[in-house]
Amino acid sequence: MKLKVLIGALVWTLLVSLAHVQLNVGWVTLTEVVREWFGRKRAVLEIGYLPVT
Amino acid sequence: MTTHSETGSVFQSRKFTDFAPIKESLISRRLNASFILAPLAMKLVEDGVPIRIVYLGHRDGTALMVGKDSLIREFPDLRGKTVAIPNRFSNQNLLMHRMMKRWGMAPDSITLIEVPPPEHPTALRAGSVDGYIVGEPFAALSEVKGFGRPLYYTKDMWPNFISCVLVVRKETIDEERALVQELVDGIAKSGKWLDQNLEHRMDAAQIVGKHVNFQDPELLKFVLSKPPDRVKYSNLGPLRADFDEIMELALEVGVLKRRLEFEEYVDTSFVAPVERIDWGFDELPRPTAGDPGQ
Repeated sequence: MKLKVLIGALVWTLLVSLAHVQLNVGWVTLTEVVREWFGRKRAVLEIGYLPVT
Repeated sequence: MTTHSETGSVFQSRKFTDFAPIKESLISRRLNASFILAPLAMKLVEDGVPIRIVYLGHRDGTALMVGKDSLIREFPDLRGKTVAIPNRFSNQNLLMHRMMKRWGMAPDSITLIEVPPPEHPTALRAGSVDGYIVGEPFAALSEVKGFGRPLYYTKDMWPNFISCVLVVRKETIDEERALVQELVDGIAKSGKWLDQNLEHRMDAAQIVGKHVNFQDPELLKFVLSKPPDRVKYSNLGPLRADFDEIMELALEVGVLKRRLEFEEYVDTSFVAPVERIDWGFDELPRPTAGDPGQ
């Protein structure tokens, strides 16, 4: 019975976490955070433009 | 967001509708780089903003438009009229003064008013201006919609006209040289690909119109083909002679207060020798006869 409760809680936590990433964080942001943890942060260049030629 | 290469660099483009917010974003470091008007870049350097011009966005690609049925047939007919310019610190403004001088007109003989580029065609249609001078596709828009007519293309008034330049913040140049080089090489390659043939230009119009600028692809196809030299994407390295001419005009018109040395506002170190660039292009698959998907 205790094992069932534990597994249920873990599955629930996992589902809530996945929903949180999907709805609030975004998978791209999460990927960037993970890359940064492993020292593989991508160089980002923000470039402004006007939609003219 | 575009994952530009296998090395993991990312070029994130941010679209604006006017040059003032771009200027503010550059000053406040929210942008590392931007395409802005050439005299505006010079003005920012004059004001102490640490940026450098590293490349051009294109050459030509601006037109002076008037109403389709207006009686304006040549430049002196604009005397006493009102013409929209994109910004005081634009080459379009300098070009209007250059033309007034050439035709022996006083600098105040045409009223020039600043209007954000996307609003130029609307201003002409509403009758609040008699003409406008702006970069494409906003020049062609009134022509395609049937209420505007090109009086002159820049290729006829100031050949190889420079409108927008690529500026990069100085610390980005110092800290991210490889990334800036990758960006400049990418622009050079895209330009060469665009100027190779009309088919490439039509592909670009379709993709950029639909997925990047959210503009009518047919309008962009018109701009890139009628005539094909309406806008050019070759020879985009910043040349001293071009910028010296802009500097002289800017001082004469009063948009700059002091003469800047070319090296103060331009960094030519990213202009790669042609032989150094890998010109291999990824070609899109061409539709074959009878292909139902096309």
